[in-house]
Amino acid sequence: MIGDVQPSARPAPVARQKSGFEWVVDRIWRFFCSVRVGIYEIIFLALLVLIGALRNSSVPQALADAVPATKPLVERWYAWDVYHSAIFMVTMTLLAIGIAIGGIINRAPGLWAAIAHPTVTTTHGFLRGADVAANATAAAAPADLAETVAGAFRDRRYRVLTAQVGEETHLYADRNRYGKLGTVPLHVALILVLVGGIVGARWGFRDTDVMVPEGSVREIGHDTGLSVRLNRFDEDYNEDGSAKTYRSNLTVLKDGQPVRDAAITVNHPLTLGDVVFYQSGFGQAVTLDIKDAQGNVLYQDALPLGEFRSKTNPDAPAALLDLPAAGISLTVIAPDDNPPNQPELDTLHLASGQMYLMVRPLGPDSPLKDPVAQVIDQGDATTFGNATVTFERERRFTVLQVARNPAIPIFLASALMLTGGILMVFAFPHRRIRGIIGPNGAGGSRLALAPMAKRDWAGQRAFEEMVDRLEADLGLPMERSARAESA
Amino acid sequence: MQALVMLSFYSFAAASIAYVLSAICYVVYAVGRVRVRRTSLATGNGPAIVGTSASLEPTGPAIGQFATMLAWFGVVFQGISLVLRTLAAGHPPLSNMYEFSSTFVFLVGLVYLLFERHYGVRQLGAIVLPVTVAMIAYVWSLPAYLREVNPLIPALQNNPMMTFHVSMAILAYSTFAVAFAAAVLYLVKVRWNVSWLPSAALLDDLGFRAVTIGFPAMALVLILGSVWAYQAWGTYWSWDPKEAAALFTWLIYGVYLHTRTLRGWRGSRSAIILLVGFAAVVFTYYGNYVFGGLHAYGGV
Ligand code: HEM
Repeated sequence: MIGDVQPSARPAPVARQKSGFEWVVDRIWRFFCSVRVGIYEIIFLALLVLIGALRNSSVPQALADAVPATKPLVERWYAWDVYHSAIFMVTMTLLAIGIAIGGIINRAPGLWAAIAHPTVTTTHGFLRGADVAANATAAAAPADLAETVAGAFRDRRYRVLTAQVGEETHLYADRNRYGKLGTVPLHVALILVLVGGIVGARWGFRDTDVMVPEGSVREIGHDTGLSVRLNRFDEDYNEDGSAKTYRSNLTVLKDGQPVRDAAITVNHPLTLGDVVFYQSGFGQAVTLDIKDAQGNVLYQDALPLGEFRSKTNPDAPAALLDLPAAGISLTVIAPDDNPPNQPELDTLHLASGQMYLMVRPLGPDSPLKDPVAQVIDQGDATTFGNATVTFERERRFTVLQVARNPAIPIFLASALMLTGGILMVFAFPHRRIRGIIGPNGAGGSRLALAPMAKRDWAGQRAFEEMVDRLEADLGLPMERSARAESA
Repeated sequence: MQALVMLSFYSFAAASIAYVLSAICYVVYAVGRVRVRRTSLATGNGPAIVGTSASLEPTGPAIGQFATMLAWFGVVFQGISLVLRTLAAGHPPLSNMYEFSSTFVFLVGLVYLLFERHYGVRQLGAIVLPVTVAMIAYVWSLPAYLREVNPLIPALQNNPMMTFHVSMAILAYSTFAVAFAAAVLYLVKVRWNVSWLPSAALLDDLGFRAVTIGFPAMALVLILGSVWAYQAWGTYWSWDPKEAAALFTWLIYGVYLHTRTLRGWRGSRSAIILLVGFAAVVFTYYGNYVFGGLHAYGGV
């Protein structure tokens, strides 16, 4: 097939007129035009995707268990971040260039020519050699028969082109000629997906764990000038204790000024310009007020619990807070949040509204020598070394995901082009029929028709249907021929 | 409400029986009758050499018609089962492996029967129906609590995107199952030249037609899935293993189409790609068992 070349490592033969540079460019061009290379690229990409998918499964492990010799390989497999590897990026790049050159640029002129200026003339050899064909003789003169046949095709919504070759009229009829053009948006869409991926990674951001306690404000950063305040958090449970719905009532501020109030739930994020706020989780926070001996504020905010768990009791949410300025590190443990489960592990026996505080020395200049621990009630204060810690109250916090993806319009466009293109190609298959109408040597005329449908079962059936219709429309008996099937 | 769920289950049971019987009939129809002949050669001293030989012969059309009728029963009962379940649950039956697989059982039967009608061939049923029966066996093997109607977790709630995404997946898998059946029959046909199977060219084309529906459907699965993921989790593509497996599957069928249209591949080579493609489909379908990831809760 034209354009199929093998990449070659041999040096350029300089004897011909082409300069070495031109030769290299030509080679590269032909490499990317090659459909065979394109197919290898798709297969290779598919394999990489598969290898990456299996990394998350026990399949490699099973392989190592079955064949111990593969163990080092399997270890590297688990360690390999396929989708961010250089090989993967290179494959995607080659594929994108291949799609652009081989799938679009190199193909488009031919595609267009087949639509706008198809070759009308054919040969008797083609008609005789076709897998299926139809022949007829008529009393009418060739020119008249050609006109009636052309008219019958047009009635069936075929486009008909004819050319006079000596005494014969050559006929070309086709329908759905624009269908194949669908491959253009289809391949453009594939490139756009890759472009969108790059744009999103380069100019977007995604912060997955933005924790905002009720009443608090958090900066979004990334030059957005945005911050978000959680006004209230609502949750609703099923009988079995699983979360039914949860909702954050937010106020988004731009440069400190409120710009939007909204309530978000899991499937209903808030979009502000191109920044999107998603509900992703929630939890319990403890509001602490920590001051040093001079009354300077060391910490005054809600500390989310549950990012950590107590080592001895996994049902107890905990939090860690380092205060290097005061030379201490604070551990907070909340009451067991699932008392029926393994009650023997709950050695702290905290009542609701109580917190267990442990303070450890941090750094060489710490005022503390040894860790100190204490249970503290809501509203109470206690002093460790230089620091006075007040447990003001418990609050809930929401976990938001905040993302900006400038590529979303690109993805939407490519989704439309991809599905539209594929549907165009497959829903409107290009049907082409060639024919010759000439004198039969007895004053009448002879008609031979055959489809361009080599090894195309559906195309041949469409041709046969068309022949049946011609027969009915024209009252012209047709003699059908088909080659024996070669499996 | 509970009554509807029970009725839906009984209807599924009825569909199961119809499908199993239909599968048996299709297989008998396609394989043909085994005919055993005894031959004895008479010699002067009475029959001396006795031999038996077996051969396959086509069965009559009646059993094939019977198979089709049973398959329609299965599809109708399964359809009723899904409607009742939808009424009981208030959402389309697509939210866990029981519902998803039940819908698959319905759609694969329907898609197959439409292809059967369009092409006027029955033998494909001998592959598609047993695949469906395997799926039914899988549904029966699922833990019983999945048959109950449960409220949806927030990420799955009431999202038209999810309904499209999942139903497109089922449509894609169903058409790929038909393509797979065509490929298997094709290979059997050319290997053993079984005269009463449909012509090789027809089987080849049938596989291709099925892919021309399945391929765009699968493209929609990937696209709608990423739109939904973007709505629910803020990320359109996270290389979740099930996503990756679906992409892998789609690329395989992309290879099938390119080799066919551009390299002129037909027949056995194309059929083998279809077998690989269907293996990828099965792998994607049951991926929940092999992988964790965001899709895990939709499973078991
Ligand atoms: C280097 C990469 C690629 C090249 C060189 C390429 C080239 C082509 C060409 C030349 C055509 C035929 C257009 C025509 O018939 O006029 C085509 C069709 C097509 N391509 Fe690609 N393509 C590539 C990658 C892809 C990928 C990755 C996909 C998606 C998986 C894809 C999907 C399709 C489809 C669905 C068709 C239509 C097939 C048909 O008409 O039956 N292509 N491609």
